[in-house]
Amino acid sequence: MSRPEIRQLQPEPAPPPDLAALLGQVARGDHQAFELVYAELSGPVYGVVRQVLRDPAQSEEVAQEVLLEIWRTASRYDPDRGSAAAWALTIAHRRAVDRVRAENACSRREQKAAEPEPAEDDVAETVAATLEHQRVRRCMDGLTGLQRESIKLAYYGGYSYPQVAKLLGVALGTVKTRIRDGLIRMRDCMEVTW
Amino acid sequence: VKAMRDDLHVLTGSYVLDAVSDAEREEFERHLYHCPTCEAEVRGLRETAARLALACAMTAPARMEQQVLAATYRTRQLPPLPARRSRRERRRVQAGRALPRRLAVLAAAASVAAAVALGITELTAEHQLDQARATAIARVVTAPDARVETARTSAGGSVTVVASAALREAVVSTSGMASLPSSRVYQVWVMSPSGARSAGLMHGGSLLAAVRPGDRIGITVEPAGGTARPTTTPVAVLPV
Repeated sequence: MSRPEIRQLQPEPAPPPDLAALLGQVARGDHQAFELVYAELSGPVYGVVRQVLRDPAQSEEVAQEVLLEIWRTASRYDPDRGSAAAWALTIAHRRAVDRVRAENACSRREQKAAEPEPAEDDVAETVAATLEHQRVRRCMDGLTGLQRESIKLAYYGGYSYPQVAKLLGVALGTVKTRIRDGLIRMRDCMEVTW
Repeated sequence: VKAMRDDLHVLTGSYVLDAVSDAEREEFERHLYHCPTCEAEVRGLRETAARLALACAMTAPARMEQQVLAATYRTRQLPPLPARRSRRERRRVQAGRALPRRLAVLAAAASVAAAVALGITELTAEHQLDQARATAIARVVTAPDARVETARTSAGGSVTVVASAALREAVVSTSGMASLPSSRVYQVWVMSPSGARSAGLMHGGSLLAAVRPGDRIGITVEPAGGTARPTTTPVAVLPV
């Protein structure tokens, strides 16, 4: 048998579910639709929370809160304003950072902030070689060192931009500019359209 | 003004990465209202940030699924917000003409009792709470575990704290407190065994504070602009 025929026998990869439509169903109280949303988002939600918080138990707790929040506030998702994944992952990252700041207030992480763990390849370590990961990686490589470090410390490290400025020993204005310029470059490199 | 706007515009990146303080976030969100360019940029950068999250996806612990799914059966969902207004309409809202509709949003979101307790309707009229803040406040006051504490203050009037342990947030609002000279402000503190942390200045409205169980909320009179640490005896202290 020739190769093309064999290929035809292979199952088509399932198309990714339409998250925006699913969230609409979730907003109407559809538990089955929520299971599909859970299947799609629990990995990225847990991953980003874990990236910021590090502690597995705490990450699990926060990720659960986030996923329940997605159930609770599904009616507030507005497809005109962005993708469903971005909406959900914004909630996830924000919650993780809120948790970091709450801890900071109790001065536990302040000491850690003074001597940050090397942030280099945490991402690669935890992540399967997904397509998305490779793409992000490649686009990260296209940034200047300062842009890359600023974005990593802010997003994956959960640091505020003044903390990032202190860690990198640069002026506040510089960090704000580098984060923005770097993200814009990432956006163009990954051909994000919104 | 131009310089300040440029400065705010640069914040788009830090804003989508949650690298700004709560005060800066509020200020920036107010700015977004009037700046279509910034809003468009924020959208694109938010999607970009989402890719950063997708790139670090991990398999969540298996037990999480059952726990979350079970919790959905115990959790009431928020009603939808009214259709989004066009920019021009929104500007009118800013000008204060569409207030009754915004009040309706709030009344729908918050339980009537909580809204009355908080005097939110009055606050909205006076201070034009933006939608994001109103939603955040509604989230706390409608939380299943929300607890309400009210106390009279030594500066007259009363202070009300609605706190959710699950959300780790509290809404602090005051009413009827003596007005202060322009050189003084009421400052709200989250007090924990490790010290007091400012939750912001109270301009007769209400504010959100990140709290943990066991914290207390205190209000002091401070010099205009606020201070890093409380310098006077609180006019009121409430448990969270």
